[in-house]
Amino acid sequence: MSTPIVEFKNFGFRYKTQTSPTLHDINLTIHRGEKVLILGPSGSGKSTLANCINGLNPFSYDGVITGSCKVAGMETKNASIFALSKVVGTVLQDSDAQFVGLSVGEDIAFALENQGIPRKEMLPMVDQAARIVGMEDFLLHVPYDLSGGQKQKVALAGVMHGDVELLIFDEPLASLDPRMGMTAVELIDRIHREQNKTILIIEHRLEDVLHRHVDRIVLMNEGRIVYDGEPDRLLASDLLTRHGIREPLYIMAMKYAGCELEPGQKLSDIHELDLSPFEEKLKKQHLAKVDKYVPKIGEEILKVENVTFAYGKDPVLKDVSFTIKRGEKVAFVGKNGAGKSTMAKLICGIERPREGRIMLNGADYTSLSIKEIAEKVGYVMQNPNQMLVKDMIKDEVELAMLLRGRSRKEIDEAVKKALKMCGLWPMRNWPVSAVSYGQKKRVTIASILVLQPDIIILDEPTAGQDFRHYTEIMEFLDELNREYGITIVFITHDMHLAIQYTDRAVVFAEGEVVADDSVYKVLSDDQVINRANLKQTSLYTLAMRLGIEPEAYIEHFINYERMVRDHGKPAAD
Amino acid sequence: MENRLLINLIPGDTFLHRLTGKTKVRTFIILLVYIIMSFDIRLIMPLFILSIIGLVSLRPNWKKVKYFIIVITVVNLLNIVLFWLAGPDIGSYWCGGGNTVLVSLTERLFLSAETLWYLSVRFIKMITSFMVSLVFILSITPSEMAAGLYSIKVPYKICTIFSIAFRYIPDIARDYNNIKVSLQTRGVELDPKKASLKSRLKQNALILVPLIITSFERVGNISNAMDLRGYGRGKTRTYYSEHEELKADKVFKAIYIILLLFCAYWIITQNIMPQDFRMWYPFV
Repeated sequence: MSTPIVEFKNFGFRYKTQTSPTLHDINLTIHRGEKVLILGPSGSGKSTLANCINGLNPFSYDGVITGSCKVAGMETKNASIFALSKVVGTVLQDSDAQFVGLSVGEDIAFALENQGIPRKEMLPMVDQAARIVGMEDFLLHVPYDLSGGQKQKVALAGVMHGDVELLIFDEPLASLDPRMGMTAVELIDRIHREQNKTILIIEHRLEDVLHRHVDRIVLMNEGRIVYDGEPDRLLASDLLTRHGIREPLYIMAMKYAGCELEPGQKLSDIHELDLSPFEEKLKKQHLAKVDKYVPKIGEEILKVENVTFAYGKDPVLKDVSFTIKRGEKVAFVGKNGAGKSTMAKLICGIERPREGRIMLNGADYTSLSIKEIAEKVGYVMQNPNQMLVKDMIKDEVELAMLLRGRSRKEIDEAVKKALKMCGLWPMRNWPVSAVSYGQKKRVTIASILVLQPDIIILDEPTAGQDFRHYTEIMEFLDELNREYGITIVFITHDMHLAIQYTDRAVVFAEGEVVADDSVYKVLSDDQVINRANLKQTSLYTLAMRLGIEPEAYIEHFINYERMVRDHGKPAAD
Repeated sequence: MENRLLINLIPGDTFLHRLTGKTKVRTFIILLVYIIMSFDIRLIMPLFILSIIGLVSLRPNWKKVKYFIIVITVVNLLNIVLFWLAGPDIGSYWCGGGNTVLVSLTERLFLSAETLWYLSVRFIKMITSFMVSLVFILSITPSEMAAGLYSIKVPYKICTIFSIAFRYIPDIARDYNNIKVSLQTRGVELDPKKASLKSRLKQNALILVPLIITSFERVGNISNAMDLRGYGRGKTRTYYSEHEELKADKVFKAIYIILLLFCAYWIITQNIMPQDFRMWYPFV
């Protein structure tokens, strides 16, 4: 057995600003060379745990430590964040904010500069670190030209120097598209094997992390460790659903089929897993009758015709055409810079097409002002903090009506309706700052709905949210669509979201629409997947291994899932 | 994101660009002293010519630079016209008492040769200081600036402000645009044709609330990222952007040291122990 690098003993932590501890009774040992996933919903204390290892707690966020935590032999409450930073490298979630240098080279060198290492010795070290993550040709690039994945690689190179033994990744997949996320997981795995570092990944996206082997999973909930052991045993148990973590899709499919999962079955690897004991049940499940989901779709509402757009010389959108019908839920997917956000801006009138036209209810509306268009198409930004300007929920929601000079009576009616639709009516007099992230999201949606638009466009509505909040937000949007017939467009990287909650995907790649079809068809098409930086789901792999047509398999799964969601699980037959 | 600022983030490859930050900062400070200390055209003119050569040698983006040059020239012309209006006889005080009237508009408003000389020198002095600053700004990156300031014993935490500010200004500008757009869709009218200045100012204030909140979030993340990489650990630090001194840096060092000595001599003899306030005037 190798020596421990992190040792928690009866450890507890309470932030100075809070009355009760965030971490309780933590007993955890991480050995040198291990690769451990710390899993848990938001607020479970997993980030706090990581910050207790790298020294941000209690040096940046003041708090009280009970018990003991030793990192590389140092008792953290006596060590400084600087001493710890020599052993522990942390890659933070926000890849943009942590890029402090003005070029890739400078950012990688930042830690070395702070140690006062002469430039002559620094250059080869920077070069080597850049080479490990594959960024050696980008040393002179400025951060504004890099993708999220590249910035993350730079951040990793910047904390890997010298004696750093333990690398902590705080939600490394949060802002990456599916393909980049997969690459990141592969890179972390390579660093683990080749550089001989201990790896700690903090995530709630279990399935994506399991793309590569992890030695151990630590599941946290409400500040306590509820599971600490091998991945297979965890997947066989019901702990994941109980603690608000999304199970991998193939595990869900197997559980729906009534397969009895045992720890010894390599459940964590869809390719290695022995399917022979389950094959019969899985195939039988595929034949089970499901209600075919038919969305309530009305007449054509939005029509985009041969739209071309460019900011400068190079076109961002090339000859794009598609239509959206009333009551539809549509996902815009594709990698960053593929044109999906630009398309949304064109629909909202924030930008105007160079060529082609956009019609709403059969009339070209692009000559109207942004303000006028907003009464037909609402746009909800990703970060609610960038939208909220008032203190009170009610004031926030009525702002758009007030600015349009409507009568008091009209305003009150519209506000009441919007607040009721969003379930915020009882909270109308609450301060905006007092509510949770998910509720803030609702407030922003209500403040858009108050104008009674025909369509709302949501940019990454669930970014950074754990499964519970994700479900809460998505169920709410689903209800808006079902009950009030509101047409919804999602801009998203999240294929789970697209599969579970939308009727159709419009796939963008290099400024063109490369696919416009139901989500399961899109996700069964290799060519589209490659062009748009998407990723096959594990259902695809499962179907292939069972010898079932993937498209049909995924469609069946989605319909079954929707049925379970709406009516609960049907009794086993 | 397009870089709309004049500042380069990545060093260029002309002669001046390749100097170290230390050389650039030190030379710039000494040249500023040199310009400020005198009203002597014999000292200012050579620097004026050199700064033009310097600017051309940097091969700047003339489209961007042109705008600045025009604005500064116009403002300075306005400045000397106002000087003239305030005191048409100001030249005789500076040029030894002579008052050779060239043109006379009224009894009070006249243009003398002395005033014309004084105002011309003044104008060239202002333009030279602008040109030297422009050359400095165009030749340096914010990181070199930080390294250069550090080399003259400015504490590195203050130097860091320069580089960090330039790093995040475009990000904050992007946040500002996002927030602006989201408010516009909700009905905030920022079009000058449709809303009065007063209401636009009032509505712009609405943007500030979310901008401040998102900026605070960002600051928290930045400072964590810096702490975790050992920023503020030691009393000293080194700079990746500051390469070894080349031959040109050594030549510049010799020049700026000689210039520094000259400035010291000039200030002591001409400014601290002045016999009279007369400026050099060739036509006495």
